[in-house]
Amino acid sequence: MIWDLLMLQAMNGLVWGLIIALIALGLSIIFGLLDIVNVAHGELFMLGAVLGWTSITVFGWVYGIFWFSLLIVPFILFVFGMGIERWVLRKIEDNASLSIVATFGLSLIFQEAVRATFGAAPKRVLPPIETTVRLFGFDYSTYRFVAAAIAAVAIAGLFLYLHKTQFGTWMRAVRQDREMATAMGIPTDKIFMVTFGVGAGLAALGGVAATPITTVEFTIGTQMLPTTFIAVIIGGLGNLLGTVAAAILVSEMVGIASVFMTPTAATVLSLVFMAVVLQVRPEGLFTRRRR
Amino acid sequence: MGKYGLPFVGFILLAVPPFLKDYQQIFLAEILIWGLFAAGFDLVFGYTGMLSFCQALFFGAGAYGTAYSIFFLKAGIWTSVGFSFLVGALLAFFVGYVATRMSGHYFLIITIVFSVLICLVLQSGHWRWLTGGYGGKPLPTPTVPLGFTTLSFMNELVSYYFVAFFVGLTYFLSRLIVRSQVGIVLQCIRENEMKARLIGYNIERVKLAIFVFAGGLSGLAGALYSLLIRYTNLAFFEWELSGRAVVWTLLGGAGTLIGPFVGAALFWVSSELLSTSFRSFPIIFGILLIVVVIAFPEGIVGYLKNYFRSVETNIITDR
Repeated sequence: MIWDLLMLQAMNGLVWGLIIALIALGLSIIFGLLDIVNVAHGELFMLGAVLGWTSITVFGWVYGIFWFSLLIVPFILFVFGMGIERWVLRKIEDNASLSIVATFGLSLIFQEAVRATFGAAPKRVLPPIETTVRLFGFDYSTYRFVAAAIAAVAIAGLFLYLHKTQFGTWMRAVRQDREMATAMGIPTDKIFMVTFGVGAGLAALGGVAATPITTVEFTIGTQMLPTTFIAVIIGGLGNLLGTVAAAILVSEMVGIASVFMTPTAATVLSLVFMAVVLQVRPEGLFTRRRR
Repeated sequence: MGKYGLPFVGFILLAVPPFLKDYQQIFLAEILIWGLFAAGFDLVFGYTGMLSFCQALFFGAGAYGTAYSIFFLKAGIWTSVGFSFLVGALLAFFVGYVATRMSGHYFLIITIVFSVLICLVLQSGHWRWLTGGYGGKPLPTPTVPLGFTTLSFMNELVSYYFVAFFVGLTYFLSRLIVRSQVGIVLQCIRENEMKARLIGYNIERVKLAIFVFAGGLSGLAGALYSLLIRYTNLAFFEWELSGRAVVWTLLGGAGTLIGPFVGAALFWVSSELLSTSFRSFPIIFGILLIVVVIAFPEGIVGYLKNYFRSVETNIITDR
């Protein structure tokens, strides 16, 4: 009995870990390039979920609308994110504290705009695939596997993009040495815009993928924020592979811990875990120590 | 503001309230409390350069500390206010012990994580013994024993002067700190942490100390607020409130002691005027924040200071 519960929580932990990794990766690439912590990142995830929910309910359960919104919503947020970088953050990008405060202002605007239009009541949709899979002696929703697969493919896609395309290489170059990159003729401004856009798009993709397995409301962005931040910190700021690993680790830890204790105690556990990791390895669990 | 600015403002805040209506006295007291709350943040960010998003934790802790000391310890009002300062400072010590060892963005992220998670834990309702449900028990009307006589909060003017006393006290205490050797070290850390370290200051200890003191100030603000409105609420812990401290400070002018008070006053007055016509006030609030950050990053007080300074230098160069 407890074995079944453990396996179930482990599976849930994996699914959510991959989705959180998606959000955390966006946060991490924005941090690596623009040197700011995007406090509004949880809200971008929330916007993705809300737009996903809206497209499903407005267009009804027409076959394929969900898969379509899985492409179109991240694209909308991608363009939107580029706009934010261009019109809000560009002017103050040399002052990190002010930029962070500006993103806090954005998060207020997004939350309130969604509450005013979408409503404050939590909403749900049925998963687009309603079958279950027999797994280790219990039935597990097929859609959750699909959501995990979507997140995994997107993560793999990001790494391919960063390492195999010209633009991705440029992004890594600007991150290493901005002045040198500019001197080599890399369009730094454009790179900044696209990076913020990609970060926003990743969060939105996570939001759409999570829509059928969570309740959609205007506060889920804030609820998501701590775990995402813990993942980013434990993985090491700017360490992308470490971030993915840490996201899955933290999510699994909270999931499995909540079999044995209340969810509240599991939350506290993750907080204590973060504090301990910071004392022992302040540079992150998966970052090689500098000699 | 010049040499006479501060005594002048102080005089107005002491002499005018008796001529105001009772709800205006309460409104003014609230502004002073929110200014004090933001001033705690200003010491941490404006002077030391640590962007903290968890000031509301200490505010909430102070408010609940007051309620606890009144209900369980049967404490008088002076003890309970002092107690809440200690509670705020103690919580700030735990958060700060983890957070202030890290610099820059790590510090910010850690304060956000603590802020959101502690709030989630308290609001989840699993640990009711800690907070006694979402809305706390209403507080009895506080009385202020002065030795020769006892005054009651039933009179709004008494509560106003009670608040003004503590706000004034902590204002001068902060002023003393900021202008002392410690204050210079704080600003040195803000400008260049590495240099401050190389000079030989123990910056971890200085940062933790100012963080704890600021936590105490926020706790005190929480205590005064809960005494003024006579209830405690878990919403006091929410990180949106921490964000408000950030906004008021930046609006008024970070790195000036009077700035947070100016920012809070401006915010509440405009909120009173606008919230009747706009239902979604937070949107305006967010837009205002972005405009301030882009157009007046030094805030109102900072802007005025620079303005007058440049006028003065112009006069000098003209001669």
